[in-house]
Amino acid sequence: MNETMILEGIAEVVRQRLDWQGPLTMEMRLIEDLRLDSVRLLTLAAEVENRFRVFLDEADEAGIQTVADLVAVVRRKLGG
Amino acid sequence: MVETILDYLEQAGREPDGGVRFVDRAERDTWFGWGEVRERALGVCGGLQELGIRRGDRAALVFPTGIDFFDAFWGTLLAGAVPVPLYPPVRLGRMEEYQHRTSRMLQVTGARLVLTDARVRRILGEAVAAVRPPLGCRTAEEVRGHAGDHPGEPVRPDSSDLGLIQFSSGTTVDPKPVALSHRALVAQTEIIRSFWRDEPGFRHSGVSWLPLYHDMGLIGCILPSVARDSAITLLGPELFVARPALWLRAISRWKASVSPAPNFAYGLCLSRVTDADMEGVDLSGWRHALTGAEAVTPSVARAFCERFARWGFRPEALTPVYGLSEASLAVTFSDLHRPFHSVRVDRESLAGEGLAREAADGREIVSVGRPVPGFELEIRDEAGRVLLPGHVGRVWAKGPSLMDGYLDAPEATARALRDGWLDTGDLGFLRGGELYLTGRAKDVVILRGRNHAPDEIERAVEGLPGVRVGCVVAASWLPDPPDTAESERLALFVETARRATPDQIESIPERCREAVLAATGLDVDEVVVLDPGTLPRTSSGKLRRREALRLWLAGELAPPEPVTPLRLAGTMARSGLAYARMRWGRE
Repeated sequence: MNETMILEGIAEVVRQRLDWQGPLTMEMRLIEDLRLDSVRLLTLAAEVENRFRVFLDEADEAGIQTVADLVAVVRRKLGG
Repeated sequence: MVETILDYLEQAGREPDGGVRFVDRAERDTWFGWGEVRERALGVCGGLQELGIRRGDRAALVFPTGIDFFDAFWGTLLAGAVPVPLYPPVRLGRMEEYQHRTSRMLQVTGARLVLTDARVRRILGEAVAAVRPPLGCRTAEEVRGHAGDHPGEPVRPDSSDLGLIQFSSGTTVDPKPVALSHRALVAQTEIIRSFWRDEPGFRHSGVSWLPLYHDMGLIGCILPSVARDSAITLLGPELFVARPALWLRAISRWKASVSPAPNFAYGLCLSRVTDADMEGVDLSGWRHALTGAEAVTPSVARAFCERFARWGFRPEALTPVYGLSEASLAVTFSDLHRPFHSVRVDRESLAGEGLAREAADGREIVSVGRPVPGFELEIRDEAGRVLLPGHVGRVWAKGPSLMDGYLDAPEATARALRDGWLDTGDLGFLRGGELYLTGRAKDVVILRGRNHAPDEIERAVEGLPGVRVGCVVAASWLPDPPDTAESERLALFVETARRATPDQIESIPERCREAVLAATGLDVDEVVVLDPGTLPRTSSGKLRRREALRLWLAGELAPPEPVTPLRLAGTMARSGLAYARMRWGRE
């Protein structure tokens, strides 16, 4: 799965589960730009795991600040 | 005769339905009988003793919800040490802040050892390195491996020994470690279990998604289940937040009669659980839906009862309760067999004279019930005099499960405990023997000589376009030196909603002022508009009002744009008004 496909998948999660209406781009920050609080961050993590059938662990998550970071982690988990 | 909470574990494991069940994200379950829980914990106890843990040592526990927590918690106790549960990191959250807070908590509790799981340990590294606990940071599995052929030799603590150190989720101050003796924990467990009376052919059982590092989850759900040798089904808090329906589905599937949660959880179910999620769900067996740990919003409680009646939810199940870590947990319970109950009181009298006078269009306050068995309540004024029913004052509580004190903090302890009474720091009044909470003493907004609960001001702006629900803080402060005759000034900190448009954000200050003025008659001096997630919160998610104010006064709580034209215009308009008032005053 390539980056674009992963980004599209995350965009769908964000639109369906987090009611985000605007566009989703790689450089957006999860907390500041997507405006996710701790409850929504949790939701995002859980939904991304469900969708891509991967399991993120806390060590992966520690460095995630932007959409691009999340895409990179999912990609690595998928073995891409 | 039960003297310590270890006696509960020793006596449990005889009933076939006694144990703990974990539900995962696919709703699969794993079951451990209490006997098995004890066996596993004995292994950890042996390992801890080999490692050199001594009676009275403190061990920090950092676990997500799972059997590892039970291994570590009971293993630590069996070894004679004191568990200190801390919260694991928030997913995708800010790691630096988490590590900083965790190392502070390790420091103030003087933990000799940190127990965790392999996943959490990888990110605990820095927090632990900063404190260097002498026995290191280990997983429960590793510790059990240490035992080798040496089975644990359980230590028998005295009832006066500490059995748990839990962090109070103080909304007004830094979290403080609350030291609880076995005696207090046993007393509280007996109080709670006294409410769950089994009947022929019926045994109470519970479901909880509450974190195990929090009093309502650990003391409220786990200890009574072990004491009663009954079943408790657990979901991780992160699972509940991601899929609130899993909570209701677990209650139905496992036929739980008791399940507690804070007010916000009932609200989350209203907004996030779909009818499709509820297919086949039956909530008629949910006898006691306790709501506590934060103020009960009557509209949320009513909406929950109405919406979920379709699936058998009974209005009398919803039971407001009140408690705090310093009392181990519960202080009052409302009637278990009656729908929740509220009064409307006149805002003016409440704010001015501190009197609860009934008024049809007044502020609605929910009763949190009567003192639990063994507890007494007094409402006192600032000078410590006991007030009559209907008068608002500080709530003092006395009972068998009060803390020994804050750990190694004699001054803070002396402020909270006096002659066997606990100053809860909450404000309220008694009416018909029931307690009604009006706010927190330290969070009170004092304006023009009147006391106002900040939540009343905050509620006024809920629902305004562009304002994030539940993310508003009102606080007042005394400018130094006072710059006007009206000494205290009122600030409102407002987080914007996720989908707020620029126009809405721009209009927030003016709309908020209007709304607060209309609802409370108060003129807000400053409306500070903030990005979502900026306001400081406690580990359990409560807003920390004094901290928000302190950060802002120190210039550390940055609004998205320091000065917008509108904010400037607002400031100028108010200066103009002040000038006009001054002139009228002279004439």
